[in-house]
Amino acid sequence: MVFPSEEWFQQVREVYNSDRDLHSGGGGACDTTAGFSVGENRYFIEFSGLDCAQVRQCSEEDLEVTDFVLEMPLETWQAMLEDVQKNGKASSNLTLNSIDLELEEGIAFSPVDDQYRQDLFYRYNQNFQDFFDASSRVETTFESQGN
Amino acid sequence: MADKLSSKAASVDRESKIVDPTRGVPEPKYEWRGLTNEWDVRVIPGPHGLRLGDVNVGSYGEVPDYWEDQTRRPRGSVGRPGIPPLPYSLRSKHELWADCSADLYEEAIQRRWIPATEVPWDSLQTLPDDVEKAVCQMCTELSQCANTELEIITYWQDRMSYGYFEVKQYLATATFDCARQLEALRKRALSNGGGLGIESRGRVNRIILESSGGWTEAVVYLYLLRGTYITRLLTGLLSAAHNEAEAFIYSHMLEDHARHLTYGYDHLKYASTHKDDASLIMQTLLAVGEAHMAAELKEGVVGSAMAIIFGGGIKGARTFGMERYLLLVRDFITDYLTICRELGIDREKTLHPVFKKYLEG
Repeated sequence: MVFPSEEWFQQVREVYNSDRDLHSGGGGACDTTAGFSVGENRYFIEFSGLDCAQVRQCSEEDLEVTDFVLEMPLETWQAMLEDVQKNGKASSNLTLNSIDLELEEGIAFSPVDDQYRQDLFYRYNQNFQDFFDASSRVETTFESQGN
Repeated sequence: MADKLSSKAASVDRESKIVDPTRGVPEPKYEWRGLTNEWDVRVIPGPHGLRLGDVNVGSYGEVPDYWEDQTRRPRGSVGRPGIPPLPYSLRSKHELWADCSADLYEEAIQRRWIPATEVPWDSLQTLPDDVEKAVCQMCTELSQCANTELEIITYWQDRMSYGYFEVKQYLATATFDCARQLEALRKRALSNGGGLGIESRGRVNRIILESSGGWTEAVVYLYLLRGTYITRLLTGLLSAAHNEAEAFIYSHMLEDHARHLTYGYDHLKYASTHKDDASLIMQTLLAVGEAHMAAELKEGVVGSAMAIIFGGGIKGARTFGMERYLLLVRDFITDYLTICRELGIDREKTLHPVFKKYLEG
């Protein structure tokens, strides 16, 4: 599967939903919508209850209804996911939380400048980390590798 | 002869018991039947089950701006005349309400974790002495913060009217979260060759605990001012976690704490939009609170402990570690000002000089 692509995200979603052992975020409900800004591509994700309800490619405008958007340089996305592939999950310096701290502007922002909704990134931090950690079970190649 | 009589009496007695099994049983009273404000309510569970907010239907979902009743009468039930009043002093909605309370209650009871068995304690490994001391000092500091939060919530919870039961129930989960944080931090400090460190002077803890003007005042200090800082400390600790056990503890504390802030910010938003001078009061309170917070940032040991953790020891603390801690404080003040702005509280013009200094780097 090529990252970034809708198929890649769908595959990760299937893995995430199929194995509760991958859910370390308290094992409880998570109800939020978020966007991922990956290079030129935008993705919309919805968590509902214990599952990732949907993930799909979307437009810039679609992101406006999300609680928050995660945005980082393409090479940082790739570094994070390569690390996940290698170690089974993100190393401590390449978790979403660590990357958020490392980058000057952080990686999470509210598209409508609503701090309250942006804070859902902290409330559900582990669900998002678990989701990306689940990609360790998805054979991944990167667009930048010319695949 | 006497035996015969006795035997006959026993037989009659047995017979009568069979005939009238309720003999001697008090007549039940049924006059309470039908005493209801609203009957035939059938809430159907949604995809996430039957949540606390889901049953807020009809008259049961009406949350008044002022709760007259000073008893434990559940909202929506029929009041009984003659019940002596209880000392519920917070009876106005703007004094405690947050729209998200019912949802946060559900989230808190679902996203629970068990420090005894879920933290991978076997991942702990011996750390350099200076780093272990710094981690243990942070456990000591954060324990005191959690203890302060627990105490101030329970102090005010006792005074909150039952008309706003969602808030009371949510805050019950917040106190449990605090107890769990105390447990996890204590266990971390005492399970890797270290121990608890020195007690904090507790300047900010004291202003939180001494906030006697109302629950909203406590929320200003507890969540808007100090809570926003703790979020940054937890994200910093999580990014610098030395093992899986620490990562588990800090990540789960962060999620719990973020929930607490959600209630706090939401309550302040409600208060500031439903009480005329609430924002101005908050502004005054924060001017005082910032001075205490600034003193604690300067005098406290958190800065050096975090610098050691970030720097991987005393040597790294002097350079990279302290630099990173100062960025953390800058981020805290940026967050704090953003939230103040959203709440309509003007803090930028008269921000405490020490805060300004951190902000300017």
